[in-house]
Amino acid sequence: MSDADAQTCGDHSQWAETSHCRVAGVRHFGAFAAVELIAPRVARRAAPGQFVMVTVPGGGFLLRRPISLFAAHGDRIGLLVEARGGGSEQLTQLDVGDNVDVAGPLGSAFPTEGVTNALLVGGGIGCAPLQYLADQLAAEGAQVTAAFGFRDFRSARAAGAFSIDRLWVATEDGSVGKAGTVLHILASLDVAPGTTIYACGPNPMVAAVQRWTFAEGLRGYVSLEAHMACGTGSCHGCVVDTARGKVRVCSEGPVFRLDEVTP
Amino acid sequence: MISDGPQHSVSLGPILLDHPLVDASGTFDLLEYSRRYDGDYFADFPYAAYVPKTVTADARTGNPAPRVTETPSGMINAIGLENPGIHAWIDQLPEWASLRQPVIVSVGGNEPEQYAAVIAALEAHLAAAAAGTAPRIEGYELNVSCPNVSSGLQIGADPSATAEVVAACREATDRFLLAKLTPNVRDVTEAGAAALGAGADGLSLVNTFKAMVLDRQTLKPFLGNRTGGLCGPAIKPIALRMVAEVAQAFPDTPIVGMGGVMTGLDALEFIACGATAVAVGAANFTAFEAPSRILQELRDELEARGFASVAEARGMALRA
Repeated sequence: MSDADAQTCGDHSQWAETSHCRVAGVRHFGAFAAVELIAPRVARRAAPGQFVMVTVPGGGFLLRRPISLFAAHGDRIGLLVEARGGGSEQLTQLDVGDNVDVAGPLGSAFPTEGVTNALLVGGGIGCAPLQYLADQLAAEGAQVTAAFGFRDFRSARAAGAFSIDRLWVATEDGSVGKAGTVLHILASLDVAPGTTIYACGPNPMVAAVQRWTFAEGLRGYVSLEAHMACGTGSCHGCVVDTARGKVRVCSEGPVFRLDEVTP
Repeated sequence: MISDGPQHSVSLGPILLDHPLVDASGTFDLLEYSRRYDGDYFADFPYAAYVPKTVTADARTGNPAPRVTETPSGMINAIGLENPGIHAWIDQLPEWASLRQPVIVSVGGNEPEQYAAVIAALEAHLAAAAAGTAPRIEGYELNVSCPNVSSGLQIGADPSATAEVVAACREATDRFLLAKLTPNVRDVTEAGAAALGAGADGLSLVNTFKAMVLDRQTLKPFLGNRTGGLCGPAIKPIALRMVAEVAQAFPDTPIVGMGGVMTGLDALEFIACGATAVAVGAANFTAFEAPSRILQELRDELEARGFASVAEARGMALRA
């Protein structure tokens, strides 16, 4: 794939000022919470693949948490949060009416222009940005299929938060959907030529999806996860190796072309 | 003109600052802030001077990920002085040209010659640069205290090595020269004395504390570099003590104090311990508005306490 036949993932509107947002809705799915925030200025600028930095309420945590946009429509944004550590656990406990500080949208977005067939491949909490992407692609008239992989029954609870017409689920323990990883779903799909792949998940999954995509002669994009401090390009904490050297996931990413990263 | 409040301006040696707050090197990227701001960030620049991320003679790719994580009341980082090298760094100077505030360039290296080479390259560029193609570069901060470079050695822990770096740089420039001290020593005034003796004009302190965080599942070091530098509110009381020791030992020396400043009152505490100016570090990561908020809080504190100037508050903690 050359630069000419892939859209770049940069040049999206980024905005780092803090929005004080009210929680308008919370849905719980096991250890996951889908949180809807009233954030008109974030929603207006947002594009699928971008993320926000969220302040953990209560003052007990110094750094904000990077969370990708699960949804954005009207004056609302949605976040899907998994209770993984102390900070994210507190975010899953937000209630309607609570206030939370959010900065964003930040980072690059998934290019969607001209896409007619899309295959969305997610792993664990990495599935989150793919709902917003699916909504956008569907609105643009694209055929959307999604393959999500989870470790076990517990983490597969997250699947309940999604509404994508053609969604296939796999669990490594076989408790929900197909037994195995997303690669087992991909192997069983009849993928149309020219389908664009969109991936987000842990690095080993991304590497496997990358190999499969190249073997199928397809192209695509990936949103990477990283430990971040600032989320706004200053600290150089979230670098990832790419064909052009180490780059910041928060600033040059989180969305990259699948063929430019070495996760 | 009759002033209607406290005088906020301070003199950091020959550099006149509108107020005492600057950014700590490596925590605030002007161009990145500017990209994410609706207005003109250069016009609204909140700090009194800009201290960019440390630049070295050659490009450095830095340490493997992960490089950062939160710790109780703080954070740990091991970036490893990632930077494009002085020549590529100089190429982006025109982008900063409209900054009104002075720039203090943070310089790093492994050997005295490498520090001096950075300064010599920049001085040569500035001497030949056309008007309006560079910001006002008024000084240097010699970073002899990064705990995350691969040599594992901190020049700043060795007073004679510190003196060698300062002496080499002193020969390369007439501009204001700060030495940034490491707290990872028994007596921080020893390196301070060595730096001043070799020609430094002022001291900045503290850099981060060498520290370690484990992955609590695997019980292996979490950071790609194994160890990192601890900063944030957790280190503030130690930083205050060290700034006070340095201010007491070198009363007429310009000092940039830093370590866990999150509020205006934190900044005032550093001033009370003898700091001339105060650098804000980890707080920059917590909110885009942190610099302007901390500045407003500092102004409010000075006014509420009836100080006529920042200078009047300086050294309060050192007096009987």
